Amino acid sequence: MKLMFNAILSSLMLVFSGITMAAGELNFYNWGNYTNPELIEKFEKETGIKVTITDYDSNETALAKVRAGGHGFDLAVPSHSHLPIWVSEGLIANARVDQMPNFKNVAEEWRNPDWDPGRQYSAPWQWGSVGVMVDTSVYSGDINTFGIILDPPEELIGKINVAPEMNDVISSALLYLGGEACSGDKALLKKARDKLVEAKPKWKSMDYGVIEKFAGRDLAASLYWNGAAFRARLKNPDVRYGYPREGYSLWADAVVLLKDAKNVEEAKTFMNFIMAPENAGLISAFARYANSIVGSEKYMPEDMATAPEVVVPAEFIGAGKFYPTCSPEVQKIYTAIWTELQK
Amino acid sequence: MVIRPRPFSIKRMPGFSLLALACFFALYMPLAPLVVYSFNAGNNIALWEGLSLRWYVAAWENDLVQSAAIRSVVVATIASVIATVLATMAALGTTRTRPYRGQTSIYAMVNQPLMVPEIVTAVALLILFALIKESTGYHGYAYLVIAHTAFCIPFAYLPIRARLEGMDHVLETAAADLYATPWRTFTKVTLPLLLPGILAGAMLAFVISLDDVVITEFVKSAGQDTLPTYMLGQLRRNITPEINAISTVLLGVSVIMVTVIFFLSRKKT
Repeated sequence: MKLMFNAILSSLMLVFSGITMAAGELNFYNWGNYTNPELIEKFEKETGIKVTITDYDSNETALAKVRAGGHGFDLAVPSHSHLPIWVSEGLIANARVDQMPNFKNVAEEWRNPDWDPGRQYSAPWQWGSVGVMVDTSVYSGDINTFGIILDPPEELIGKINVAPEMNDVISSALLYLGGEACSGDKALLKKARDKLVEAKPKWKSMDYGVIEKFAGRDLAASLYWNGAAFRARLKNPDVRYGYPREGYSLWADAVVLLKDAKNVEEAKTFMNFIMAPENAGLISAFARYANSIVGSEKYMPEDMATAPEVVVPAEFIGAGKFYPTCSPEVQKIYTAIWTELQK
Repeated sequence: MVIRPRPFSIKRMPGFSLLALACFFALYMPLAPLVVYSFNAGNNIALWEGLSLRWYVAAWENDLVQSAAIRSVVVATIASVIATVLATMAALGTTRTRPYRGQTSIYAMVNQPLMVPEIVTAVALLILFALIKESTGYHGYAYLVIAHTAFCIPFAYLPIRARLEGMDHVLETAAADLYATPWRTFTKVTLPLLLPGILAGAMLAFVISLDDVVITEFVKSAGQDTLPTYMLGQLRRNITPEINAISTVLLGVSVIMVTVIFFLSRKKT
């Protein structure tokens, strides 16, 4: 009986503990498995601010929860494609990131992205690209093209995977055919659809989690993201990452201050903190994607600072572009193509 | 001699056991590799590198897993206890009374969480709780507990009600005949007989709460990741056998609980 009483008492304490919030707290809402625990430990030690991390698994979930309000989060990490929606719906407070002391570390090309002009709202977290992974022991030709996936060479047929991400797949097809992602050109969209439908029988799967399969040599090519390509190369030295020269899309996730944040000062302290090279280095060391902070390479693991998957080779930099979310009309066509592709 | 066709008998259904076996196979086979690879020595969920318990150790020592697991168990315990008490009262109210108007609709209402798609409940709770959170400023665990309690009630209710329906009214009538007060009848006769049903209901509610993803994902406030939502967050990026190890433990807990429920709610013959 006493035991039961204790259990009830402690559970009541648990229920009510949420009411009082001590000063020096920070609620960070980020993608799952994306935040380096060492980074948080360092931040807590240096500032005395206690950080609570909560996970989400998609831009849509995060947007829905923040939109509903009353979420209790201070910071979130939307992708560049969704960030303008957050701004236009008034979900984000203007933290004036561009005036923070550590803003000086942000690389020149990241100071004025299209999706956050003047970079007032968002502190850089990580960024990457959509390209192709190829096991060069199977195919040794040119890999810097989406042709690997859409017009695959003989050796690769039946050993190809495609990431099950509608926007990345269809946009890549449009880029391959000489268009732009989210293009409203119906004839081109039709061509992209035909190309995808024609290529699909030559694929093996449309799946996440490719690193193991490249390690086990079950796959020889995939449309995928650069960070995973890097990790796959560490397990299978023949894996290379191609930057399609017809054009490829870039993505970036950035930290924003939420409008109804309770711990505004703590949140700004954190935003400034992650723009210091030694801290940005920790972010990349964990999730293995590049950040946008000059000098952070020194704090990354050695194999990473020089990896061609992380540091884009000069000749391919120009081909990469950020694309916003497509207009609702184009989105509808994308969905129709995607549904057909899933059959 | 006339050959008469055999009359239909439920005891003789050729091919039935084969079909049942095939169903069990389809249901349980996908779990086998998950469990096997949780014992993998390598970093890989598809490449076998030898037998080891390292991922169980890793999961055990992972602070995030630990706190999420504790949170899951605490929420499931509180929610299943409250749900079971409410479900017991509801079961008594729908079986130990004279038939009254609206009895069927009460039955339907109690079981509503079984019918309404989970995502609908989740979105509805997200919107409602957001309003309450904004006006009160309270972000604690009560929301999760309330949400879990609500969808656990039918799972606790059904076994309790089934038990009550199988119980003989005569015993309660006899107790009343011997001048026992209604409360005494309840505590000395009804409750002891009902106990296996209540325990089965409580454990079922506990397992359901422990496994919930969708509603929790939408209702949770800052720092309230439960084990399933934590696992969901891990899936997209880097899957290691640690997830297999956690899943295997969760699976083990569920199997044990369901087995216990089976033995508890089995009718004595």
